[in-house]
Amino acid sequence: MRSLARWTAVVVTAVLFLLPFAVLVREGWSALGDVFDDRDVPFVRSLLNSTVVAVAQTAGQVVLCSLAGYGLARIPYRHAPKVLYAVVATLMVPAAVTFVPTFVVVSSLGWLSDLRGLVVPGLFSAVNVFLFRQYFLDFPVPLEEAGRLDGLSRWGVYWRVVVPNSTGLLAAIAVIDFIGSWNQFLWPLVIAQDSSTWTVQVTLSSLLTAQNPRIPLLFAAAAVSLLPVVLVFAVLQRYLVRGVAETGLSGQ
Amino acid sequence: MTTRRTALTFWLFVGPFAFGLLAFTYLPIAWSGYLSVFDARNTVTPTEFVGLANYVDVLTDRAFLDSIGTFTVFAAFIIPTTVVLSLALALLVNQIRVARAFFRSVYFLPFACSYVVASLVWKMSLFSGVDSGIANTVFGWFGAEPLAWTGTVDPPLYWVVLITARLWLQLGFYVILFLAALQRIPAHLYEAAWIDGAAPGWQTFRHITLPGLRGALIAVLTLNLINAYQAFDEFYNILGDSRGYPPFARPPLVYLYYTSLGPGGQDLGRGSAGAVVLALVIALVTLLSGRVLRRAD
Amino acid sequence: MGVEVGRRSFFVVAGLLGLAACGSNTGRGGSTDGTLRHWYHAYGEDGVQDAVRRYAAAYPGAKVEVQWNPGDYDSKIVTALQTSAVPDVFEAQVKVDWVRQKQVVPLDDVLGDTRDDFVRALLESQTVDGHLYGIPQAIDTQVLYYRRSLLEKAGVTPPRSVDELVDAAKRLTAGGVKGLFAGNDGGVGVLTAPLLWSAGLDFLSQDGKAPGFDDPRAATVFGKLRELNPSLLLGAPADWSDPGAFVDGLAAMQWTGLWNLPKILAAHGDDVGVLPFPRLDASGAESVPVGAYSAMVNARSADVAAAKAYVKWLWVEKTDYQTEFATAFGAHLPARTSLAAQAGPLRDGPGKQIVEFVTRGGRIASPARWSARANTALSDAVSRIARQGAEPVGELRAALEVARDEIARLDR
Repeated sequence: MRSLARWTAVVVTAVLFLLPFAVLVREGWSALGDVFDDRDVPFVRSLLNSTVVAVAQTAGQVVLCSLAGYGLARIPYRHAPKVLYAVVATLMVPAAVTFVPTFVVVSSLGWLSDLRGLVVPGLFSAVNVFLFRQYFLDFPVPLEEAGRLDGLSRWGVYWRVVVPNSTGLLAAIAVIDFIGSWNQFLWPLVIAQDSSTWTVQVTLSSLLTAQNPRIPLLFAAAAVSLLPVVLVFAVLQRYLVRGVAETGLSGQ
Repeated sequence: MTTRRTALTFWLFVGPFAFGLLAFTYLPIAWSGYLSVFDARNTVTPTEFVGLANYVDVLTDRAFLDSIGTFTVFAAFIIPTTVVLSLALALLVNQIRVARAFFRSVYFLPFACSYVVASLVWKMSLFSGVDSGIANTVFGWFGAEPLAWTGTVDPPLYWVVLITARLWLQLGFYVILFLAALQRIPAHLYEAAWIDGAAPGWQTFRHITLPGLRGALIAVLTLNLINAYQAFDEFYNILGDSRGYPPFARPPLVYLYYTSLGPGGQDLGRGSAGAVVLALVIALVTLLSGRVLRRAD
Repeated sequence: MGVEVGRRSFFVVAGLLGLAACGSNTGRGGSTDGTLRHWYHAYGEDGVQDAVRRYAAAYPGAKVEVQWNPGDYDSKIVTALQTSAVPDVFEAQVKVDWVRQKQVVPLDDVLGDTRDDFVRALLESQTVDGHLYGIPQAIDTQVLYYRRSLLEKAGVTPPRSVDELVDAAKRLTAGGVKGLFAGNDGGVGVLTAPLLWSAGLDFLSQDGKAPGFDDPRAATVFGKLRELNPSLLLGAPADWSDPGAFVDGLAAMQWTGLWNLPKILAAHGDDVGVLPFPRLDASGAESVPVGAYSAMVNARSADVAAAKAYVKWLWVEKTDYQTEFATAFGAHLPARTSLAAQAGPLRDGPGKQIVEFVTRGGRIASPARWSARANTALSDAVSRIARQGAEPVGELRAALEVARDEIARLDR
């Protein structure tokens, strides 16, 4: 009896969770062919932009943040604690609250409507540095020492020993970054003024808030925009789950 | 290795990131402090010093205070429902034996979806105001008149749309968190309780599961709070239109967006003052809630 | 005959609305090179986008890229003007702020000897401190469309006062059909101006030096929008500017643009009636809002002279394009009297009536001195009054304060 109730709850919830995806496909099906015709809005262009932005941002973030996390965890530099403090302090200020001043900085650099303006400010994630640092603190010292004995420098040890033994966490953080970057909206909305730099979320939003939305087209475009992330989700879910658990529970 | 070489190696690793943090976090914060004491309407290089006038403006601006109120209402709804529902789902999934991975994936899948896409489905289909909208169809079976979900302010039906959209998007994330934490509770605790005669159910939940989830609960509450505070995407896309944004249900970031960059604003001085105030508020709230939560243990 | 009426109408429009336009010739010129970026908001009428892209491609002086902007176009323009050299050319209605911040350039010399051909009131509305900043592209107006048969069935006569409108909307609301559609925001966006006019008020006083709604009757008239609220269609798939709700029979009346006339006639034929916005009482007047998106040049453009040359080519010289733009995709009134003859759908029936509404009661809907911030304050107040039932007097007092500040700021 209890197990029946449990199963009903699980299945009904699952149906509710899948319903929005079914709606997307059903409403958008008829217009699927029109999506790739860039007449009304540069949808294909924005798919490309999103791909460039998400890939560049993911790669950049993983490289920069893991390097910094390793440095902070393992290099006995006198001022390292102060630097760590400066990194952690920014965790208190959510990036979203600083979007206005960051917009000012980026526009002064001349990076409005420029892919650099979309990618670069998002590369420096204090959360990721913190996660990498926690992980590298526990990285087995003997492994590193073996590398040093083979004559590798710190830099060499990092790339030849540490990175190959940390692919799990690297992949976990990369997957989270990719999905986050693909789905981000506020920052591209502010920076991508010119339609040649719109990301797919900006394009969808401009169609959605238009005076006379073309509804089937809108749903079809949204469905297509989901494909890359759903693919990443399906293939790399294992890492994603780990990433979520790490991100969420790291503070303890 | 000499100190000097250590320093060099350290900056080789940390330097690029530190430089970026300086340029895109610390510099903007400093710049917004600077802008916030100038009349910076329609310009990023202001010349007229106005002292604390922007702060006075912001703190007496009804729209700003309303935005804090909106956030409070939103948080008061979304945080408890998210915690309760995600915990319930995690417990359910944890208990079933067949197809557990499948259901976990299903609940987690919306995490891959953007707020823009969810807004689209919620606004144009699930809660569309016409009678063919899915919610209106379902209510229609029971003889109800079609409702304008996003357009009805009195009572504020738009909250139903906003809250359910966010629940759908974020529940899976917290389910995964709770599942990870559940699996860290040692099985022998349950076995011991069973031997001691504790009935599986409320008693074991109260005395073993809940204490074991303490850390996860704190994480879920904190992350939820920070995310609710940064709400923008679904508000903008569900309630905004080609002419702008209505005067209700403006969370802080929507307020900042329209004050600094909207057609009725373009006031970067006031926007910066608002950003500074909000940054202080969020830092304070995070610290306080962290302290309260830890003391409650 | 229709031609005659059309031409005369334009002169009367000009006479009623507007006053002498003045300007000076700054005489700039220059060479053209590089690509020009030209922004439009997203027109709902089919074919406009193809047309403007075709015009841009035909320009011999430079490569022109057209950007179509669905969504919140006003915000985009204001943000872009602040820091960006893109767009070079865009459509909008002039704001004094942009002129004060030197974000747009004067276009007096672009008109040349065609100045007298443009409807003077329109030029006047795009003029700040004696300089012209926008070349009017076409005249838009909005009217109340209604279904004769539905009104007859409900036993109501076409509303000629605001109270009659409230009553008609209430009685027409039945069986899944709403009385009136005036936008998903409950009419706040498009009815604020006509409501002010209906009570003999306005955004600004006659001389533009004070708010024009410092009057207890403003509270009365926005209270009417509150009374109207239960009979309004909300949450329609497309907003007020699209004829969809009216065409599909979701509402018995709709406030929408003249541009939708062809689609509405195609759907409902002889069943369509049109009205101006009614008056509140004897001191107000029937009105229709008149607006004109105008072509402007961004002062930060990499090549201002090239941008001006392009504007001159498209909106002054290419009269065949201007005629097509105004008349071929939904109905608009051309901005130039010499082209009025071409406005086919406006020669008889409801189209002809609408031209008469414009002549008799056309009002400029977006004065340059009415700043965006003042407008936001007023529409927020109206929204709270109409949608949330807020107390009108206090709400309007707050909006008045902002409006006074803004007017004072413009003259500082």
